[in-house]
Amino acid sequence: MLLVIDHHNGVPAYRQIMEQVKFQVASGVLAPGTELPSTRALSAELSLNPMTISKAYGLLEREGVLERRRGQTLTVREQHADDLHEQKLEPLRRHLATAATMARQLGVSPTQAIKLFRETLDSTSK
Amino acid sequence: MKTPSPFVSSEPLVVENLSKLFGKRTALRDVSFKIPAGRVVGLLGRNGAGKTTLLDLACGLLLPTAGEIRTLGCAARELESAQLNRLGVVRQEPRFLDWMTVRQQLEFTASFYPHWDHALEKRLTEMLELDGARRIVQLSQGDQQKLSILLGVCHRPSLLLMDEPMSALDPIIRARMLDVLLERLRDDGCTVVVSSHLLADVEKIIDWVVCLDAGELAVSASFDELQESYAEWTLHSATGTLPETFSETCVLSHEGTTKLARMRVCAADTASEAERFASMYRAEVKSRALSLDEMFPLLLKRRERRAKS
Repeated sequence: MLLVIDHHNGVPAYRQIMEQVKFQVASGVLAPGTELPSTRALSAELSLNPMTISKAYGLLEREGVLERRRGQTLTVREQHADDLHEQKLEPLRRHLATAATMARQLGVSPTQAIKLFRETLDSTSK
Repeated sequence: MKTPSPFVSSEPLVVENLSKLFGKRTALRDVSFKIPAGRVVGLLGRNGAGKTTLLDLACGLLLPTAGEIRTLGCAARELESAQLNRLGVVRQEPRFLDWMTVRQQLEFTASFYPHWDHALEKRLTEMLELDGARRIVQLSQGDQQKLSILLGVCHRPSLLLMDEPMSALDPIIRARMLDVLLERLRDDGCTVVVSSHLLADVEKIIDWVVCLDAGELAVSASFDELQESYAEWTLHSATGTLPETFSETCVLSHEGTTKLARMRVCAADTASEAERFASMYRAEVKSRALSLDEMFPLLLKRRERRAKS
């Protein structure tokens, strides 16, 4: 599992882990049933306190993204289609909120902004 | 190989109303906090804040003027070999038998500990690139720090107290040393207290912060909690109606104009507080989390504000 932690951006490391795991689940990089590295292994890999890892794993389990099977191994849970759809939209919504703020500050009209987003979608899908 | 420590206190370091005076000078004044086991604690503070005094009190090298400090469940003034065997100390100015070679000093110190881990010693000597054949008197300051770290961890303590252990180490070795600390935590559940001014380094591994300011406790809190309660906001008002000053207690510093303002804030829930500001001042609020370097002066301010109120 490839995670990148920025130690200096002020966002708690457990949150960074949660966000990246959720993103990878939503985008299909981590398929349902995929086993996650142990707390110990991930702690060594990311040079993070094991408590940070277990906090992130615990919260992801509570949110239903991960599940603990047969006692110990932690795996990606099969997501309901509705949940998965929402999980895909959630990070996008957050990014667009930033863009929307910027559009307002710059005085770019909603019509112009939507047109720009459509053009961007088109150009990056080529 | 990986024997867990026989007994892990739930709070390996407990400080209660601790004061220390040197003559008329107050080094610590009425400090109280508890460190939960298995944490990596950043002991922060400016020069002269009382960090070294606190660590010396914790290992019984100094005695409190008032109050109490309990280390591994025992009053620090009464530590005996049962506790000392489980306590690791890395001091800012280490004292060695400097006519010895590195290897001789390691053997000498090892002979006092029943559980000295020679395999760990060998591995760390290589990892930190320390030459066992060299005489201590010839070692650079950095190499002396490495030796001091080895002497502090190879008996596999359950509480490790480190006073500025990395100031003379290069960035590569510093990164390895942080990994060594995390490894001790994973293998032995070792609680680590590390004082350092290298905030960008300690920020990578700490999960608890104790901050001293002029001998008083400014903060003792989990690092996650601090990261979530401090932020920098940029307020943008299209109508140019931001006030000249903000009287809200959560605002710690502020600069800007009626159109664009930047402020550092501290609130239990910064996200909902940001929304409140946005609707109250009809402004866009952009929030950014703070690094430990940026947060540090604000932690000190917290005590000033408390003292004023």
